[in-house]
Amino acid sequence: MEKVIVSDSPHIRGKRTTRGIMLDVIIALLPAAVMGCVYFGLDAFFTILISVAASVLTEFVYCLCLKKKPLDIIKSFDLTSVVTGLLLAMCLPSSVPWYVPLLSAVFSIAVVKMLFGGTGKNIVNPAITGRVFAFIAFQSVMVSGWVAPSIAALDGSVTTGATQLTSMLGGNGYSVSLLDMFLGTGMAGCIGETCKLALLIGGIYLVARKVIKWQYPVIYIVVEGFVAVCLAKFDFAQFMPSILSGGLFLGAIFMATDYVTSPNSAAGNYVYFVALGVLTAVLRAATKIEVVSFAILLMNLLVPLINAYIRPRPFGAAGFIERIRTKIAEKKAAKAAKEEEGKQ
Amino acid sequence: MTGKRFKTIAFDGLLKNNPTLRLVLGTCPTLALSTAAFNGIGMGLAVTFILICSNVLISLLRKTIPNAVRIPAFVIIIATFVTIVRMVLDKFIPSLYDSMGVYLPLIVVNCIILGRAESFASKNKVLDSACDGLFTGLGFTCALTFIGAVREILGAGAIFGFQLWDFKIEFFTSSAGAFFVYGLSIAIFNAVYKKMENVRRSKTFAVRVMPKPDVSAPDNLDPDASVVTDTDAQEQTNSTATADVAAKEVK
Repeated sequence: MEKVIVSDSPHIRGKRTTRGIMLDVIIALLPAAVMGCVYFGLDAFFTILISVAASVLTEFVYCLCLKKKPLDIIKSFDLTSVVTGLLLAMCLPSSVPWYVPLLSAVFSIAVVKMLFGGTGKNIVNPAITGRVFAFIAFQSVMVSGWVAPSIAALDGSVTTGATQLTSMLGGNGYSVSLLDMFLGTGMAGCIGETCKLALLIGGIYLVARKVIKWQYPVIYIVVEGFVAVCLAKFDFAQFMPSILSGGLFLGAIFMATDYVTSPNSAAGNYVYFVALGVLTAVLRAATKIEVVSFAILLMNLLVPLINAYIRPRPFGAAGFIERIRTKIAEKKAAKAAKEEEGKQ
Repeated sequence: MTGKRFKTIAFDGLLKNNPTLRLVLGTCPTLALSTAAFNGIGMGLAVTFILICSNVLISLLRKTIPNAVRIPAFVIIIATFVTIVRMVLDKFIPSLYDSMGVYLPLIVVNCIILGRAESFASKNKVLDSACDGLFTGLGFTCALTFIGAVREILGAGAIFGFQLWDFKIEFFTSSAGAFFVYGLSIAIFNAVYKKMENVRRSKTFAVRVMPKPDVSAPDNLDPDASVVTDTDAQEQTNSTATADVAAKEVK
């Protein structure tokens, strides 16, 4: 007789681990990070370095404070803090002083992630919250700190101060071509958000590795563009510049799709991303500043509500349409039964 | 009023029932007015003054006020003192009056004052109530000043209006920072308080169960027996408890 092995569930394990997925995200982020370093020079590189190092160190120190053994911490290290640090640095301007990425990274890891229980327990995206923290905490530095990339400086056309988005929202229109916007050349902005091509490549990699679904970021971006068009009295020329400016691509591909802080059902995700698009466009028009991070933060907080109302279908259970069909069939049967009773 | 009673009231007001950090009362002025240490002191002292006066008056009238209308009566008494404080501040410290804004008249409905009136002043003697008002107010003042100082140092790089350095994290002067610092203060205070309480409890426990020297028992002549450590005491109570249970079972 064959040997029978008795063990606890789960009996079948997937090959995917948190560490593997996070490694995919890091790889997907690399093109944009490299382009940021190319455009903004060493400043950008150091900002990224400080942010990532601070994130990882904060997690390590926090775990030490919980009296975990150093070896265990290294063994269970799942790269999420690297992703957080990288994402955080990529949505900061390159010219910020060194303490901005440092303190924001400490805040996003210690307060937003670890205080709520670590990886998978945070209610809002740590990187987004870190950026919002930086925005509120160092307002003077963050608002005036936009620098156009140094490649543009070689051409002699330097734009400092307002980003394309702020000038657009202020009613001054945009001053660079759409191709420049797509490639990020000559555009002021955050380290990681200027080169849309690099972000798109990263996004395609994530889709190919099945880390994210392609529908979600596309819904976010398209809905945002469409609502922006509607708000501009159906001026369809606004569509492309609206979606290509600001941090929309970065937010849509890498931040809104975070597993922990997005709904757990497909239908819920559609609601979430449509709401994100509408919220971003409306708030942009209302406040005249870049609001992608605020919109995502706000929707993160609504995810539990979405989850409460839109539950994922349990495996093997009837779907929504199927349930309606059975209900109709039941009603028909009941009616028929009544009629028969009446006849008798 | 005995010294022991005084001690309990002081301990209750400052630590055990600290209105801000233990009871989480008066949250609205705490969040709104702790942007700077001086604002915290001003608000705290104003509340302390009103708390003492209202406690004394309510305690004096505690047998006269009918139970059914006690809350309106309390509110009228408190409102009287708030109006006095407003007039005095407006006349003598207009800068503080301006910085407190709407939160000064709002002291009328402050839960700390109403809470003390309801739970203490209306049941206790005048002197006790005055003491309770003083220490509860001081507890509130200390907490507000502490939160205000932290927020001022981090958010404006200053302490009591004195500029320390240029580095500032504006987050801490915003309302989000108020919630953040307030929450952390509560957490830290409660952690320290619990530790203190544990130490105190174990001490009183050891004292309470120390057996009285029994002359008739020859064992107690042993010099070691007078030293009762904490664990010894616990073991002793455990054994007596089990003995009690055994006795009950026998019955």
